[in-house]
Amino acid sequence: MSEAARLPAALEPRLQSRLPWRLHPEAMAGLLLAGPAVLALTLLLLLPTAALLVLSLTDMELGGPPLRWIGLANYAELLGDPGFRIALRNTLVYVAAVLPLSVALGLGLALLIEGGTRGRAFFRAVFFLPVVSLLVSMATAWEYLLHPTIGPLNRALAAFGIAPVNWLGSSDWVLTSLCMIGVWENLGYVVVLFLAGLTAIPPELRAAAETDGARRGWDRFWLVTWPMLGPTTLFVVTITAIRCLRVFDTVATLTQGGPNKASEVLLHEMYLEGFTYFRIGYSAAITVVFLVVVLGLVLLQTRVLERRVHYQ
Amino acid sequence: MKLTRRLLLATPLAAAPLAMPFLSRGALAATELSVHYPMPSFFKDVMDKLAVAFQKENPGITVRFPAPSPTYEDGLQQVIRQAATGGLPDISFQGLNRLRFLAERDIVVDVAPLLAKDGDPAKAGWTPGILALAQVGAKQTGLTFSASNPICYYNANLVRRAGGDPDKFPTDWDGVLALAARIAALGDGISSMHYRWPGDDWMFSALLYGYGGHMLSADETKVDFGQPGLHALQLLDRMVKVGKMPPLTSEAAFQAFYAGKLGIIMGTTAYIGQFQKSIGPQVELRTTRMPIITPGGKLPTGGNAVVMLTKDPARQQAAWAFMRFAAGPVGQTIMVRGTGYVPSNTLTLHDDRYLGAFYRENPLFRPAEEQIPLMQPWYAFPGSNGVRITQTIVDNLARIVEQRATPEQVLADMTAQVQKLLPRA
Repeated sequence: MSEAARLPAALEPRLQSRLPWRLHPEAMAGLLLAGPAVLALTLLLLLPTAALLVLSLTDMELGGPPLRWIGLANYAELLGDPGFRIALRNTLVYVAAVLPLSVALGLGLALLIEGGTRGRAFFRAVFFLPVVSLLVSMATAWEYLLHPTIGPLNRALAAFGIAPVNWLGSSDWVLTSLCMIGVWENLGYVVVLFLAGLTAIPPELRAAAETDGARRGWDRFWLVTWPMLGPTTLFVVTITAIRCLRVFDTVATLTQGGPNKASEVLLHEMYLEGFTYFRIGYSAAITVVFLVVVLGLVLLQTRVLERRVHYQ
Repeated sequence: MKLTRRLLLATPLAAAPLAMPFLSRGALAATELSVHYPMPSFFKDVMDKLAVAFQKENPGITVRFPAPSPTYEDGLQQVIRQAATGGLPDISFQGLNRLRFLAERDIVVDVAPLLAKDGDPAKAGWTPGILALAQVGAKQTGLTFSASNPICYYNANLVRRAGGDPDKFPTDWDGVLALAARIAALGDGISSMHYRWPGDDWMFSALLYGYGGHMLSADETKVDFGQPGLHALQLLDRMVKVGKMPPLTSEAAFQAFYAGKLGIIMGTTAYIGQFQKSIGPQVELRTTRMPIITPGGKLPTGGNAVVMLTKDPARQQAAWAFMRFAAGPVGQTIMVRGTGYVPSNTLTLHDDRYLGAFYRENPLFRPAEEQIPLMQPWYAFPGSNGVRITQTIVDNLARIVEQRATPEQVLADMTAQVQKLLPRA
């Protein structure tokens, strides 16, 4: 402002028209401050996404002949590809099983830990351990636990007279087994998020509810805790859904999608197409589908649920 | 030990730039070769020893190893990427069934002219059969470095408990399957056998070649599993029905074998080192030849070849010297002692300077060596869908192992599905 004030009066309108930003230092500062983030977002997210969209319209093959423009042919092939359909279906089944289970169990555990008097830090750490452990190395442990003949799980079941189950080798069970591991993997994360949400609820609210006649813990949960946890729950559900959609490492290390594609999932299929079969264009098309599913899910959750969860 | 090896390797590297100004004026030019290899857990020690021995014989050339790739797949990807973006190493070790992919994209140099200039290859230990493992059409894409064939591993303790004689392991499939059934009948969580069918089509081709079959017609336009294909699938079906083979993943089967709970495993000879390290005290590991299917039956060859990537004629001379050395008797002796593979050089076999004594003293390694005359190339499918075809075959085998489909159904489906993935003429 002070600089503008020093300019001769006759010059001012001309400058104003040519360099409008000059008169808005705040706008300038805003652009400067946002600049690095905008640049980073463009370089790291928007441009790669655009490149992905373009690649998905080509027949690019790593090391292959020069790429050709093939329009929507990749997507047409996706529609008719039974492998892709199985992968998509398995991924959705995985999300539908793991998401509600980990959220429900996680909430229950968080309430128990929060309500407990002793060992809170201990239990928090115990349930968070799977999140910080390296899944690829844990896969070896799972492989042993779930081993059909020498695994401890089947031996424990045998004690109850239950016939051994071929957890990872049978196409009937493999997806169930992966879902169990998925719940184990996500539970700690959900617990910690819910614990944070629980501490944010003012204790007076529960005390007031009790005074008003909500004598049982169950009543207080439905009356106070659950509604107040709304925003946390929304966040947990969104994050967990995306984590479930992203399932890859257990599949890659434990089953490689087998037997006979019974545990094939979207990202593993994408990886196979792109980096084992070298079909970059087709792989890009799968990634686009993955992106659309993620975006759709996030939009749905925020649109539908956001309105109901805020109690201000 | 490690330190000295590193020092030995590093000294010529560090000295090379210092020596440059003097050397460039003389007739001798110091060449630094970059050599890429996969699977460091198998090959790191072998490569380090190879480089030391090679540099001692070739003072003008130093060998440098860029970061190795964890698997054959990664190694192939890296080379293909570098072919597009630059920075290719001079030499690479590539899986035998991927040579076709590299040759069809003109990434590897045809070494046939270099080989021809050196005189009769058989005198250097490379018979036509050995050379054929690394041929694609008329091109010699490289020299076979480490070769493997499928062998049969068994736990002698379980064989004994099942009433068999570990010293007289059955040599035909009927005998093996009957023994397997008796091992399964031991109970106590003991499984009979694992034929390593998951992963790739290699072990399927062992059955197919055993019946004298092939994957495609001679002109490579049509799937041609035919009767041998049906017989191969029926044999797999019998492994489940008669031999009581459970549908285990290979990892689970290995774990059970290490724990003394699985009798027989059939897979690549390259597992020997891994099995020796991992088995528990209750396992008495033995190996033997694969059961015979038909008298003229063959076995597929796994492993890798050393290939030339540099297009610079001066560097090609140095690269060729390294390749000859790696596939020569000294290089092959280092490789066999450090892994479980069989040598791809006939000079090494019965000569006590190389591997003669080694095979006398290490009976576990002998079956693979005895099967060398049966080896034929691991078939690589034409076009860009090779891995996909492999996966299609494995997925179909799973249906038999899980007893979801009959061999006849699987043969029909597999033929149709593979046909669709072949390049259209």
